[in-house]
Amino acid sequence: MKISFNLNGSATSLEVAPGETLLQALRASRVFSVKLGCETGDCGSCTVLLDGQPVNSCMVVAARVDGGHVTTMEGLLGDDLMIRLQTELVEQGAVQCGYCIPGLLISLYALVKQGPPAGREIDEELIRHALTGNLCRCTGYVKPVEAARAVVAAMEVSP
Amino acid sequence: MWNLKEYRIASSPAEAVVLMRKGPGKGAYIAGGTDMLLEHPACDFVVDVNNAGIGDIARTPGGDLFLGAAATLQGLVDNSFVSEFAGGAISNSASQCGNRPVRSTATMGGNLCNALPSADMAPILLALDATCYIADEDCQESLPLTDFFVGPRLTVLEDRLLVGVALPGECAGWRCASHKLTRTAEDISLVQVAVSLGVTKGRIQEARIALGAVSPVPMRAVLAETMLAGQEIKSVTPDAVLDVAAIAAGECDPLDDHRASADYRRDMVNVLTRRLITRILTNNEGETGEGAA
Repeated sequence: MKISFNLNGSATSLEVAPGETLLQALRASRVFSVKLGCETGDCGSCTVLLDGQPVNSCMVVAARVDGGHVTTMEGLLGDDLMIRLQTELVEQGAVQCGYCIPGLLISLYALVKQGPPAGREIDEELIRHALTGNLCRCTGYVKPVEAARAVVAAMEVSP
Repeated sequence: MWNLKEYRIASSPAEAVVLMRKGPGKGAYIAGGTDMLLEHPACDFVVDVNNAGIGDIARTPGGDLFLGAAATLQGLVDNSFVSEFAGGAISNSASQCGNRPVRSTATMGGNLCNALPSADMAPILLALDATCYIADEDCQESLPLTDFFVGPRLTVLEDRLLVGVALPGECAGWRCASHKLTRTAEDISLVQVAVSLGVTKGRIQEARIALGAVSPVPMRAVLAETMLAGQEIKSVTPDAVLDVAAIAAGECDPLDDHRASADYRRDMVNVLTRRLITRILTNNEGETGEGAA
């Protein structure tokens, strides 16, 4: 079946099988920032934005995104917030093997972009909550969390 | 890959039922799909209900809270109507289901229709007297959530569609507390307990104790509830709470599996029920208002 959707700002049409996942469809389209990890919705290495929400692309049927907006790391390479997050992760030593990083960045990006609930600031708890779907076996999360806090703190100074 | 022949998209509940009955072969409804992509159930086609207009969350003029079946779990976390109802108890339960990206896809209706004994959303909805709305081709039916679950992975639906659940406005001020006991935060629950108490003038007018993962279907501990209903709060002594919790533990019917033994589960129903009742009674002296979730 044919699906049409917005992929990273470009109108895209793909021929997909009815039972194919978004992860499989994206990688077949050479969108390689989206990593195949567990395929059970646990590891988060395939996280993408679907209509602005972080989702596991292995847990979304490709046919469902017809008419929707999908954003991957490829679509955010020139984005100011994404550059800040990437830079800070590197500077804090939060990138080791790197396999989780595209998904982890997408989750942090969604957190900052959506902002905290009313009357609250983005604190460590919210950052850790946002990363509940991204397994990182190298860092133990300390460095990624510190990097995200640094980005949030810097934005409060110069948004 | 999941071996599906066809992906059908419904634009209304009635059309969804028609598409389901049209055949050929076996069909299933799909919304978020987070359970189905794990299990790849054997079917020829699926009917996508994400565009069927059943994803809304609304508060009626009478104060009832309606949760559309295709509302995502993250939607329940973020929605202000839900986070204000019964002290945010429903948002709280939704926030403990899966992880952040799973919650943006997984739906409340999917969680109920999959009908696992451990369905994360079932206990708190049972504890708040939820009513289910079910669509057929040309009519709708409503029934209490207690009657929705028939057995493990089995509901009353057959080929009909769950449209949503409604929670009565009277429950908005009930005091709730719930607990999901798991090995790890993302794992399926070992035991879930949700307690809600409707308190007026220092007296418990209504009491609900709902249990998950300890019987073939999510259940209410009705005998234990009757021990609380009608009691003055100050007459509910620690010993009385112990008795209520022991009765609740006696009402459940847990299984042994690789996650936990039946005995452990039953013990935990006892412990959690006691703690949750105590938490509600000690955290919220005074009249019914916002309850702690």
